[in-house]
Amino acid sequence: LLETTVIQQEVAPSHPVPAGMERPVTVQPDMGFIRDVMASGGEDVKKCFQCATCSVACSLSTDEAPFPRRQMLQAQWGLKDQLVADPALWLCHNCGDCSTRCPREARPGDVLGALRREAIRHFAFPTFVGSLVADRKRWPLLFLLPAVIFALIGLTGPRGAGEHLEFANVFPILTLEALFFAVSGFALVAFGVGIARFVTALRASGATAPILAGLIPALLLIIAHRRFKECESEQKRYWGHLLTVGGFMGLAVMGTVVGMGTMFGVMHTPLAMTNPWKIFANVSALAIVAGIGLLLADRVGDPAKRASSTYFDWFFLLTLAGVVLTGMLSQFLRLGELASVMFGVYFVHLVLVFALFMYAPYSKFAHLAYRTVAMAATGAGSDVDRRRPRRRAA
Amino acid sequence: MDKKLGVYVCSGCSIGESLDVDALVKVATKEYKVPVCRVHPLLCNPEGVATIKEDLAAGSVNAVLVAACSPRMKTEVFDFDPRMVFERANLREHVAWCQPAGDEDAQMLAEDYVRMGIVKLQKAEPLEPMSEQIAKTIMVVGGGVTGMTAALEAAEAGYEVVLVERQESLGGFAAKLKARFPSEPPYTELEPADLSEEIRAVSYHPRITVHTSTTLVRTEGQPGMFDVTLQNGQGPIAHRVGAIVMATGWKPYDASLLENLGYSHSADVITNVDFEQMAAKGSLVRPSDGRPIRSVVFVQCAGSRDPKHLSYCSSVCCLATLKHARYVHEQNPDAQVFIVYKDIRTPAQQERFYAAAQNHPGVFLTKGEVTGVGPRADGRLEVVVSNSLIGAAIGSGSSRSDIASEVPDGSIAIPADLVVLAVGMVPNAADGEAIRALEDAKAKALKGESETQRREAEAKVLELKRHEGTAILNLTYRQGPDLPALAHGFPDSHFICFPYESRRTGIYAAGAVRTPMDVAQARQDALGATLKAVQSLELASDGAAVHPRAGDVSFPSFFLQRCTQCKRCTEECPFGTLDEDEKGTPKPSLYRCRRCGICMGACPERIISFKNYSVDMIASMIKAIEVPDEDEEKPRVLVLMCENDAYPALDLAGSARLQYDASIRVIPLRCLGSMNIVWIADALSRGFDGIMLFGCQYGDDYQCHYVKGSELANRRLENVKETLQRLQLEPERIKVTQLAIDEYRRLPEEINSFMTMIREIGPNPYKGM
Repeated sequence: LLETTVIQQEVAPSHPVPAGMERPVTVQPDMGFIRDVMASGGEDVKKCFQCATCSVACSLSTDEAPFPRRQMLQAQWGLKDQLVADPALWLCHNCGDCSTRCPREARPGDVLGALRREAIRHFAFPTFVGSLVADRKRWPLLFLLPAVIFALIGLTGPRGAGEHLEFANVFPILTLEALFFAVSGFALVAFGVGIARFVTALRASGATAPILAGLIPALLLIIAHRRFKECESEQKRYWGHLLTVGGFMGLAVMGTVVGMGTMFGVMHTPLAMTNPWKIFANVSALAIVAGIGLLLADRVGDPAKRASSTYFDWFFLLTLAGVVLTGMLSQFLRLGELASVMFGVYFVHLVLVFALFMYAPYSKFAHLAYRTVAMAATGAGSDVDRRRPRRRAA
Repeated sequence: MDKKLGVYVCSGCSIGESLDVDALVKVATKEYKVPVCRVHPLLCNPEGVATIKEDLAAGSVNAVLVAACSPRMKTEVFDFDPRMVFERANLREHVAWCQPAGDEDAQMLAEDYVRMGIVKLQKAEPLEPMSEQIAKTIMVVGGGVTGMTAALEAAEAGYEVVLVERQESLGGFAAKLKARFPSEPPYTELEPADLSEEIRAVSYHPRITVHTSTTLVRTEGQPGMFDVTLQNGQGPIAHRVGAIVMATGWKPYDASLLENLGYSHSADVITNVDFEQMAAKGSLVRPSDGRPIRSVVFVQCAGSRDPKHLSYCSSVCCLATLKHARYVHEQNPDAQVFIVYKDIRTPAQQERFYAAAQNHPGVFLTKGEVTGVGPRADGRLEVVVSNSLIGAAIGSGSSRSDIASEVPDGSIAIPADLVVLAVGMVPNAADGEAIRALEDAKAKALKGESETQRREAEAKVLELKRHEGTAILNLTYRQGPDLPALAHGFPDSHFICFPYESRRTGIYAAGAVRTPMDVAQARQDALGATLKAVQSLELASDGAAVHPRAGDVSFPSFFLQRCTQCKRCTEECPFGTLDEDEKGTPKPSLYRCRRCGICMGACPERIISFKNYSVDMIASMIKAIEVPDEDEEKPRVLVLMCENDAYPALDLAGSARLQYDASIRVIPLRCLGSMNIVWIADALSRGFDGIMLFGCQYGDDYQCHYVKGSELANRRLENVKETLQRLQLEPERIKVTQLAIDEYRRLPEEINSFMTMIREIGPNPYKGM
C-alpha cells in the first residue's frame, strides 16, 4: 500500500495568507480503502464521471445534501474518513434506481453498499472481530466457536430421557439462558461502542440534529417502511423487508418474555402449542420465512442483483434464514418425537442463533443500529417533506 | 454561330391555372420573335422532353429556354449537352406557388421572367471546354500515417504517387508512439503502434515514388499540371503532378509559453509528447534524478481552449493522458495518477476506452483549474488546483500545504514526482497570405513613397516576422507561397461544409494539419482527401470545375487589351487563380478557377466574362424587365440572389406556398461576389425603386461557398451608398441580407417589409428618364 508523504511542517509559507484565503488541502488518496471498496461490491466505482444522474434518480436524496454523486467522488479518491462519517450512506435503502440509470454502469447503489460495509468495519469494537467477520475466507472460524461451545454443553449436560422428550434433556435451559444473555450483552456493548464512535464521527462531520429526540420519528419511519415504499424499481423488497423485520421483532419480544419467564420460574418450556406466546412465536417465524424467502428470491432471481450480492449480504441473510428454518424444524421434530435427529438439528439452530447475535455488530445486521442513528441524526422521519416530490416512473 | 431560339412553357403544377400561358407565349413570339415556342401540360414527362429533343434533333432549335419549375428541379430530366445554350425561367416556385392565381402582378412577374430568360439565351454562347494534357499523378506531402495512407489509397486506385517526406524515414509522429488508442471493439485495450508493415507497403509499391530527407523548393502551375521541384542531398528533382495532398501533420504547442505550469523551471515538468517518447524508449522515471515515479499529475488543456494560447480543443490529449495512465500502471500498479481536466473529451467510441482506463484504483480524475506548479521541500513537485470537484468534496480535517498560499477556499495541493502537461496540436502549416504580405511590407519598407508609409510597412514587417521561412509548398502563386490559413492557423477551407478543400484548387489538406485528430481519424481523412484529389484530376481532364460547381465547363475569359492593371481581380480571387505580370496584368491559370465570377464582379472595366455568364448578360436582363411608369404605382425591386443558399431558400418558400409581394424580379448569381457595381447603377437609372441583395453569412463563421464572395459584395456596396447620397437617392433603397438556406421562412417578411419601406419612400425619381 502506497502512502503519499505528508507534507512536513518545516517549510514556512513564503508570505502570510490573507483573510478569506486558505492554504490548499493536500490530497492523500487511501489506495487500500479504494481497493477494499472495489473488492467488496464497488468494483465499478472508478467508472463514475460525475454526471449526477444518480443523485437526481434517487427518490430519497435531499436537495440540501444530495447523494450519492458526492460519495462516489469521495470513494474514487479514497476519502475514507469522510465517507464512514457520512450519514447519507445509511439514508440509502439500496433500491437500485441509481444503478439502473447510471450511464457509466458505475453502480452507485452497490458502491454505497460496499461503503456501508466499510463503515461497519471501521467503527467495529473490538476492531479485530470486525475484520474477522468481514473476511470471507474466515467464515468457518465464525461457526467453529459456537459449535465447540454447544458441543461441550451437549456432551457435559444431563444424560438420558426426562419426563418428556425435550431439548433441555441435552441442553440445559439455564445454561443456555446464561450463555445467550452473555452473548447479547457482549453484542450490546459492541454496538454501544461502535455507535458511540459513529456519533462522534457524525458530529465531527457536521451533522447537528439532536439524535435522541430524532430516534422515535426515525424508528416510526423504519417500522412503517415508508422509505422502502418510495423505491421505484422494487416492491418485492418492501414486503420482504417488512415481513422479516416484523417477524424478527415478534421473536425478539417473545424470546425476551419467555427467557425472563423461565428464568424466574413463571413459565416452563416447552410451551403448549396452544399457548398464545407459542402461537405468536410461530406466526413471527412464518413471517420471517416468507420475508426472507422474498428477499432471497429477489437476489437469486435477478441476475444483476445476484452479481452485485456480496459475501456480506449472503452471510447475514443465510444465517438469519438458517436460524428460523432450523428453529421451526426442531419444533416439528420434537412434536414428531424423532429423538434421533432432533438434537442434531437443534444443535445447528443454537450455533446459528449464537452467530447471529454474536456477530450482529459486525455483520450486515448492524445496519439496523447505524441506519437508525443516521436517520435520527439527519432528522429523517421528522422532516420528510424536505425531499423532492416523488417522480412518477415513466 | 447562328442561334435558333426555342421557348418551352410548361402549364403543369398549377402554372396553367395561375397564369395566362397564352400571354406568356405572346411575349416570346411577338415581342422577341422567337421562332419556336411550345406549351406543354407536363413538360417534364417523357413526352414533353421529347418535343424539345425532337426540335433539337431537327436543327430547328439550338438554344433552349424551359419556362417551368426552378432550375434546381428536374435536372435529371432537362439534361442536355452541357455545352448547349440552355436556360430556365422559374415560373413555378417563384411565381405560381407564391402569388395568388389570376393576379395581374403575378402575370407581369411571369412575363418578365420569360423576357429575362430569352435575353439570357440571346447573350449566351455555346461552351467550348478547355482541353490540356493532364498529369494523373498525385503528390503527397508528408510521410506520416496520413500521407502513407493517402499514397497507398491513390496508388491502389491506379494513380501514380510521389511521396515527399522531410525526415529521414517514413512514419511521422505515429511511428514514435509506444501504443495507440483502441480502434476496434470493445475499444478498451491499447493497440501496438507498429507501422513497419505500412512503411514497407509504401516503400515497395510499384506506383509510389518515395523521397525522404526531401523538401519542396518550388510548386508552379495549376491542377492537372503542377511542376514541382524537390530538393534533397543529391540535388533537385522535378516532377509533374496533377493534384497535391498536403499531410504535413502537427507539432506540440510550445509549453515554455505556459508560464505558471513550471515547464521552464523544473526538469520534472514535461509535455505529453515527452512522456510518450520516454515510455516508448523504456521505463518511466523522474527526468531530474532517474528515480521511480509514484505519483504523476497530468494537466489537461495545458494552453488549450485558452484564448491566450490555443483557443481550440485538440480532441486527442484526453485520450493520450488516459493512455499514459495505463503506461504508469503497467510499470507500477501502486502509482497514483492524477488527471486535472476542464472537460474530458473522448470522441466517438473512445468513450469506452475512457471508462475502462478510468476504472483503476490509482487513477484520480477531477475537474479543476491548475493555478500553479512549484517545488516542495522534499524535492518533489506540488500542483495546486482550484475550483476542483474534489476540493469541494474534501474534508476540512485534512492536512494543508505549507508551501502554496493565497489560494481560494477549496483548493487542493497534489504532491507529484512528475507533472505532465497535456499540450495541444499545432498544425505544421504555413500561412501563404501572411508570407506574401510580409514580402510586400519588406519591399515597401525599403522603397516606400513617404516616410509614414515606410514606418507603417516596418511595423507590419515586425508583426509578420514569425512567418519568415515557414513556407512548405513554395507555390509560385501571386497570393503567397502556401495555402491561406483560416481559423486557428489550419488551412482547411471550411471544416464542416467542405472538408479537405483548401483555397488552392487541386491541393487538399488531410490529417492533423487540417484539424486535430488521432491516427484512426487520420487514416479516414487521408482517404477523403485522396478522393478529392482524384476528383480534381478527373474533372480537370474534362476541363471542368471542381467543387462547388463540379462539372461546370465554362471558364472566364479576359479581354486584356482594355485592362487597366488595377489588380482588383488578382487580389480578390479567393483561389489564387490569377497571377500577375510585372505591370499587374492578370495571368489566369484557368484550371485553378472555381467559376464563381468574383473577378467578373471586381472588374471596373467589365473585361472578364464567361460565355454563359457576363456583366453584359445580366445588365441586358435588367434592361429587359418592364418598369411601369410612376403613376401606375407599381414599384419594381431588383433582387440579386446567391444561387447557393438564398435562391434555393426562395424555392423552398415557394414550395411551402409562402406568399410575398410580386414587385420583385430575381436574378440568381453564381456568388454574390460576382455582383458588378454597374448593374446597380443600371437598375437605378432604369427606374428600379430598390435593390435587394441576398448572400451568405460572412466573417469568421462564413458560409460562402467561395469563402469571401458575400463579404466582397458588401464592401463594394459601401462605396455605392456614397454615390446614392450624391445623387440624392435614399441609401435605404439598397439592402444586403445574409441568409442561410434554412432561413427561408424569413424571406416573405424580408421582402414585404422592404416593399413597404420602398412604398413609403416613394418612387425612384429617375424613373422614365
